Amino acid sequence: MRKLNKMIFISLLVSIGLALSVLEMAMPLPISMPGARLGLSNMVVLITIVVFGFKDGIKVSLLKSTVLMLITGSISSFIYSISGAVLSCIMMYLSFRFLSKIFSLIGVSIIGALSHNFAQISVAAIIMSNLRIYTYLPFLMILSLFTGYFVGLSSGYIVKHLKKNFRTLFVR
Amino acid sequence: MTKGDKLLVVLVVILSFTAMGYIRRQAFSKNGIYISVQVAGEEVKRIILDSKLVGTRIPIQSKYGYNLIELGDNSIRVIEADCPDKIDVKKGPISRIGETIVCLPNRMVIEIKGIEEDTEMDIINR
Repeated sequence: MRKLNKMIFISLLVSIGLALSVLEMAMPLPISMPGARLGLSNMVVLITIVVFGFKDGIKVSLLKSTVLMLITGSISSFIYSISGAVLSCIMMYLSFRFLSKIFSLIGVSIIGALSHNFAQISVAAIIMSNLRIYTYLPFLMILSLFTGYFVGLSSGYIVKHLKKNFRTLFVR
Repeated sequence: MTKGDKLLVVLVVILSFTAMGYIRRQAFSKNGIYISVQVAGEEVKRIILDSKLVGTRIPIQSKYGYNLIELGDNSIRVIEADCPDKIDVKKGPISRIGETIVCLPNRMVIEIKGIEEDTEMDIINR
């Protein structure tokens, strides 16, 4: 029963992430920069990593990217988003696991946003076979500070309550 | 916000601003104009003009002959050559994209090249 509960909860998280992604696409940004996103759905991945661990975190992020491709129908954005999702998931887990004494969730989320951007830019550089795309990275890095801060702050609040309610249910 | 978070934020801000400054200064200076020196069709030197380099003399020695070129402020010229007619020396300084100095006996070509501004988009990838 516990396994089923967990499965249902993870699929709920995935669908929340998808809803956030779709909502985010409808949201106009004040600055017009390709590749700049709020990254609201990163919140879901971060929460999953904190509450359930790495395996489920990467499951959620892979599922989210794949189903988002089915929703939007854009393959090229899928390539970008899946590479960013995998790298940011790994980096967030490592920094949460080993550096949580130094960083709070805000720092972890900023690291996730930075690595997401890095992976995306790298993939773009490979696809267009032009290393000059990396000159775009500093601008995205500045932006990812703000989005990462926001995501980390809000997931901190969510995790606080989730842990209280679900620890007994899911974690052994 | 712990101390580590703040340190990370400061570090990222410093890193990205220095990178931005570096990129602005290096990659986009002079709109990508450079000088290409070719001997027998092969590029032997590629020079980016800079105000620090005014007056620099560069000898071009190849098996076909010898030429001495001098960099000026936004221009380049040949001041010495061992070819018989010295047409390359008489040509004087060149400064605009597409201009060339040719020394046929020595098989040397100096050309000012620019990366063509391509304003049309190939694709929009989103």
